[in-house]
Amino acid sequence: MTAKNSEMEPLLGVEIAGIRMKNPVMTASGTFGFGEAYTDFFELAELGAVVIKGVTPEPRIGNPPPRLAETSAGMLNSIGLENPGVEKVLGEYLPSLEEVGTSVIVNIAGSTVEDYCLVAERLSASKVVKGLEVNISCPNVKAGGIAFGSKPEMAAQVIRAVKKHTSLPLIAKLSPNVTDITEMALAVEEAGASAVSLINTLLGMAIDVRTRKPKLKNVMGGLSGPAVRPVAVRMVWQVSQVLKVPVIGMGGIATAEDALEFILAGATAVAVGTGQFVNPRCCPEIIAGIKAYCEENEVSAVAELVGAAWKEEARG
Amino acid sequence: MKYHVPQALVAGHEQTGRGLFFLALNAPQITQAAVPGQFLHIRCGKGDDPLLRRPISICRVDKEKGNVMLWYQVVGKGTSLLSQVRRGDCLDIVGPLGRGFEPVTAGKTVFLVGGGVGSAPLVFLGNELAPEKEVVAFFGGASEEMLLMPCLTRLENCEYATDDGSFGYPGTVIGLLEEQMKGKMPDILYACGPQGMLREVVRIAEENSIPLQVSLEARMACGVGACLGCSFPRSKKSGGGWARVCQDGPVFWDWEVAWDDGEEQ
Repeated sequence: MTAKNSEMEPLLGVEIAGIRMKNPVMTASGTFGFGEAYTDFFELAELGAVVIKGVTPEPRIGNPPPRLAETSAGMLNSIGLENPGVEKVLGEYLPSLEEVGTSVIVNIAGSTVEDYCLVAERLSASKVVKGLEVNISCPNVKAGGIAFGSKPEMAAQVIRAVKKHTSLPLIAKLSPNVTDITEMALAVEEAGASAVSLINTLLGMAIDVRTRKPKLKNVMGGLSGPAVRPVAVRMVWQVSQVLKVPVIGMGGIATAEDALEFILAGATAVAVGTGQFVNPRCCPEIIAGIKAYCEENEVSAVAELVGAAWKEEARG
Repeated sequence: MKYHVPQALVAGHEQTGRGLFFLALNAPQITQAAVPGQFLHIRCGKGDDPLLRRPISICRVDKEKGNVMLWYQVVGKGTSLLSQVRRGDCLDIVGPLGRGFEPVTAGKTVFLVGGGVGSAPLVFLGNELAPEKEVVAFFGGASEEMLLMPCLTRLENCEYATDDGSFGYPGTVIGLLEEQMKGKMPDILYACGPQGMLREVVRIAEENSIPLQVSLEARMACGVGACLGCSFPRSKKSGGGWARVCQDGPVFWDWEVAWDDGEEQ
């Protein structure tokens, strides 16, 4: 089956954790608000899925400013999971996404295992939500977040506990700030995650030499943008070869070529974050670019490309 | 409506002073949609470094020619690259973004108080209000070459202050404003500039019970309210927590801002 026939369009659809997506491009949590910020630039329905911002049981005020620092080909953020809390998200934000024409996935976070369970249970009541991305990797929250994301047994514990409180598919969002990413991925798969997202931001910092102070009020923050892409591609390559469940790749994706690099490394879908800040039409342009690549290279379905780079290497 | 114009033609670009530039970009849809106080988010380079766009307030619009004009200062890598673009080049811009100044219908006399490039959004506002209101602009700068002159502001009543006394009132724009207010009181104040200056305007507005709107500055990533990076503390009276300078502002009523919690700039 090839796309030699010009009338045959390449199939862009993929399936992640039982969620059917019309194409493999999603938004990265925390970079898209609750879906309202980019509606002047493209239709949300064009996306494979929308992943909305990390939600906790209670409202969180987040970290004090300055929360941003630009670095070479990247940026540091220390937002600290600012969000209005699960009840307000359910009451005010999710209803507006009901007829959005794409799958809505909600990122969930907490300071304790009970927090994650509570948010998962409440969100399961919404018919808008098609899946939960369990954020066990936020570098900007002292209690929780990264604490669950750096020890395999703790990550597994969160996933197992959340699973008891929801029938929605769980996607574990992993931190790159670990020695062995495959160990983390295998632990959450074993615990029942239906997919993994990687990577969250890399822990970093920057100092203003003029004031001699850290540029972020919170001192450290998460690095994102093109600078982190090679780290993310490497982790997707490693993890996708040992897992049975699909990988959602993210980290510095700004163009179709970047997205294809992740897919070839083993990602079934990709998410765009910082790239959107730079180019608000980044997502639709990536979708068009992937389609064009498939047509030019006679690829009948984008799914055929998943992991093609390591499959190719194995063939020798 | 926000627009992404990946190829906005540079219709003019001139240096007006030390590190200061006046830039005209052709983007008719933005000139139609823009209100005073809003900003453009500009990609200053072509590659990944600098990565993020730079927010720059709109200084004037020419709806007939479809040009949107900016007056900006070179402060770092992004604006330094921007200063090198030439007439005929194209720039990738997004806008108009943010909540602009709220026009006030009551009263006749409007005072604008601008420090440095903070004068830019007030120029746009002054031009919009001038047909209906008596607009007096007070603009301050370090020296004469750091001021935007009436040939570019197109405002009739511009009063200037310079720190070195090289032009207009010798001293700060705050000194000039207080001097003028001994003779005439405005019905509303609009201000934009460094935080130290803004705090002084807030004090003057409070002392004289004059309503005041300020335009704030912050480092931004997305510029459209998504990333929550450009937070500024809200006053208890307006609900506390953080406001997003890009989307909830950059213009705020003075009472909406928790001035004491703000970062010193």
